[in-house]
Amino acid sequence: MSFRKKLLLIFALTVVLCVVVISVSVLSTMRNSFERANDDRANAVAAQFRSEFQRRGDEVARKVEAAAVSESVQRIALEINRGPSDSGGYVSEARSLADQQHLDFLELVDRQGAILSSAQWQAKFGYPEPAIPSAIGSAGAFLKREELPSGSTLGLFAVRAVRVGEQPLYVIGGERLDQGFLSTLDIPAGTRVLLYQNLNANWNPKSLLDLNGPAAGADKFAPLVDQLRRSAQEARSVIHWSADSADAESFHAMPLNGPNQQLMGVLLVGSSRRPLVELQRQVVSAAMLVGGAGILVAVLASLWFAARITRPVVSLAEAARRVAAGDLYAKVEVESSDELGELASAFNRMTEDLLQQKERTLQAERVAAWRELARRLAHELKNPLFPLQVTVENLVRAKEKAPEMFEEVFREGTSTLLAEVNNLKTIIGRFSEFARMPQPQRKPTQLNEVMRSVLRVFQAQLREKSQIMVHTELEPDLPMISADPDLLHRALSNLVLNAIDALPQGGEITVRTQSAGDRVELSVSDTGSGLTQEECARLFTPYYTTKEHGTGLGLAIVQSVVSDHGGKISVESTKDSGTTFRIELPREAR
Amino acid sequence: MRRIAFLLLAAASLLGTARGETRPRYGGTLRVILQSAPNSLEIPANAGPVEYWDSVRMLALIADNLVTMDALGRPQSQLALAWQTELNGKRWQLTLRHGVKFHDGSAASAVTVAQILGALHTDWSVHGAGDSLTIESETAMPSLLAELALPRNAILKRNASAAPVGTGPFRVTDFQPGKLLKLAANEESWAGRPFLDTIEVELGRSLRDQAIALELGKTDLTETLPLPPAPNGGTQRIRTSLPVELMALVFPANSRAQDVRVREALALAVDRKPIQQVLLKGAGEPTAGILPNWMTGYSAVFPVQANLQRAKVVLADSRQPALTMSYDPRDPQAQLVAERIALNARDAGITLRVSLSGAADVSLVRIVLPSSDPATSLREAARELGLPQPAVHGNSVDDLYPAERSLVEGHSVIPLFHLPVASSAGARLRNWQPGRSGGWNLSEVWLEADSR
Repeated sequence: MSFRKKLLLIFALTVVLCVVVISVSVLSTMRNSFERANDDRANAVAAQFRSEFQRRGDEVARKVEAAAVSESVQRIALEINRGPSDSGGYVSEARSLADQQHLDFLELVDRQGAILSSAQWQAKFGYPEPAIPSAIGSAGAFLKREELPSGSTLGLFAVRAVRVGEQPLYVIGGERLDQGFLSTLDIPAGTRVLLYQNLNANWNPKSLLDLNGPAAGADKFAPLVDQLRRSAQEARSVIHWSADSADAESFHAMPLNGPNQQLMGVLLVGSSRRPLVELQRQVVSAAMLVGGAGILVAVLASLWFAARITRPVVSLAEAARRVAAGDLYAKVEVESSDELGELASAFNRMTEDLLQQKERTLQAERVAAWRELARRLAHELKNPLFPLQVTVENLVRAKEKAPEMFEEVFREGTSTLLAEVNNLKTIIGRFSEFARMPQPQRKPTQLNEVMRSVLRVFQAQLREKSQIMVHTELEPDLPMISADPDLLHRALSNLVLNAIDALPQGGEITVRTQSAGDRVELSVSDTGSGLTQEECARLFTPYYTTKEHGTGLGLAIVQSVVSDHGGKISVESTKDSGTTFRIELPREAR
Repeated sequence: MRRIAFLLLAAASLLGTARGETRPRYGGTLRVILQSAPNSLEIPANAGPVEYWDSVRMLALIADNLVTMDALGRPQSQLALAWQTELNGKRWQLTLRHGVKFHDGSAASAVTVAQILGALHTDWSVHGAGDSLTIESETAMPSLLAELALPRNAILKRNASAAPVGTGPFRVTDFQPGKLLKLAANEESWAGRPFLDTIEVELGRSLRDQAIALELGKTDLTETLPLPPAPNGGTQRIRTSLPVELMALVFPANSRAQDVRVREALALAVDRKPIQQVLLKGAGEPTAGILPNWMTGYSAVFPVQANLQRAKVVLADSRQPALTMSYDPRDPQAQLVAERIALNARDAGITLRVSLSGAADVSLVRIVLPSSDPATSLREAARELGLPQPAVHGNSVDDLYPAERSLVEGHSVIPLFHLPVASSAGARLRNWQPGRSGGWNLSEVWLEADSR
């Protein structure tokens, strides 16, 4: 990743992080405020419920008191104090009293706690009223589970004792605590109240009531009610009604306990989370808008800053790439005096130093080449010149001291002089030929044919040296290449000649050709004495030779031809095992 | 001197009493109110107890049977003066009362009676000749006289307008179905002219309306629940019959209570005593048998005490479906009794819900035991309860007990109470001696003259 991209990313991340932190902070504050408002509303409804509960309890107590002082109850109390009476006459009394007092429940209970008359379940006479022992003496109202023929329900009850003799008669009456009770509450908008009648040991969805009766989707409340039943403490939960979180409601569950602190019911005050969720969505939208704009500004700003900051660095990198490619004239413009400016100046000094060093090296190499050329020329020319000098001196000496032998010495001397002159001409020709290396004239060329032509040239020489065996492994379908067959012929002739020279005691020469993708390969191997690693390294240097009478130009010519064809040559050699020259040539001209 | 004065005072009070009780008065109209509102003067099929008793009481004014049964289950002569049986009860020969006429003046001959009975019993061969009536059957009929005494075998024919014509003490003068029945004294009744000139029967009035009308003196005779007499006497006289009805729980064939252990547990769970004392106001007798003790004398062998512990033991390991129980909504006492039984069942661990909707798993029913003859009542009860007909051939304990035991031991029926029927008479009614089996016997009644 480029420095500019990194810089851009850092700018963008910083802006996004700031927006996220601010948004989360705002959302958290908002949520806390909403929860506090919810709690306030729930507490207000709970307080109202308790107030209504108290008022209704007082009303129930008043009605039960009125029933207790009624003439019929006083008569029954008197009769049960007179002795055993016909309890069959009381069966309907409780219902009449309940109708008179507008009570949902009313029972007359004797001192043993047995029901004498029940308004809500007339058939229950004689059965014990379980609330009597604990409710006696209770001045106010209390919650009680009431059994009915149709099932259990929850009621707000009060009890009064009628004492007209030794045996008290208890009047216990009450009203249902159900949806009718809930409908009397003044519930704020966006809030609803549910009542769970804790009548069974297990969760019963039909016991959860709202204003219209059994609440819809009651099973969603089971975990909340169970939590409260386990802990007997207030509990809170969010009920999700659909995938849309705006449909969810926050519920605050409060226990409603009976006289012995047993859980009789649960009041659930719920608030819609739609206002909160919609506000959250607005905040998130605004945050995204601000964040997006911030990111855009950050991108533009970072582009400007990055361009301003990274321009010297980019120029420096470009100049470095040029230097690496060999352009030592690359320069970096120094625009500032800071660290980047110092870096650019140092770079420019470095390139200047490199350029001077290169020029010094080239000059030294040229001098060395001239010296080598002069040494070779001197060496090459010195050998024929010495016989020439000796022959001429013999001729002079023979003319002066033995004229009679001069004729004979002259013939022999002229013969020697001609031979040495020819030798000089040959040396000069080779130097001339190396200097005149032409550019390849390319045409479709079959490398196998060129190789076979070369081998035919050396056929007679090889035949004389019968101890040399030539093996050819030419790929039959070797593709044509674009090359100059004459230059290739000269190069391959040098390789074969070197191989023959490397086998003075005989051996084997192996010639191979093969295709390799978009190239063709050719190798010439001999089983001679091989070369050292140092010899291999200097083998293609002009005028370097390992032969006693070599010019050192053969392999230089081969490398020149191969290079001019876009190929490359390599040598592998192991001492006392032989040498292999490997040439790779492209099929198409480059 | 003091002794003479005491004797004179006692004689004077005896004379006064005798004059008030022994001087019947002819004439007057007896006003009667009934609950049911029948559209015909016949015993309706599947009649409830109220409809049954109302129909029987109206029929008894119009028509006679060949014989009647007294409270001890003994046959009493009515249209038939004598009878004898042959061929081990397969043939009965009855001698009819001579000179009896229907209300239309036609003779109630043996031939006419044979036609009427033959139409009612197609499995009988009934022949009449002179005053002799012969009834034959391929099977023995040991209880034929009790059968002939049943209200459904009243000798009754129809006139051209389909009005009932009998030989009873009163004849129909006006019948407005469901509203009113007017009867006039049969001047030529074989038992002698009744004291009353007419009887007006108002139909379709509730027990409450009847009680108010009686209290206000607007009627002379009503039905009522079998209550103990008011402490202050009041203006009413309540006559209560022997227990002639059976209240029982019946499991229909499609009941979910197929496990006999559930039915037995329910039978053990029902605490009859509180129901009898409180809901039935002390009337009736708790029972676990079909026939009342006054018929058989052995009803104590069927235990009636509740045994919750035993019920729970019986119920253990049994399949306990939630059951529903229905009752006759026309019966004013049935709902509370049903709810009490459901409470008792809950104590034993049986879920029993009282409901009038849908097919019930158990029904609280009240049936009439129509005859004082035990064998006949047992057969009629089995038929009404949907039980197989018992194999009973006589009225001995050896005959009755095994048959009754076989009917109840599978707990397909759980007998609960034997109940009486009761009637209230106004202050004008004199010489009213209702039958102990539920009949009214108004032919001997006369009305005290209106003092106003």
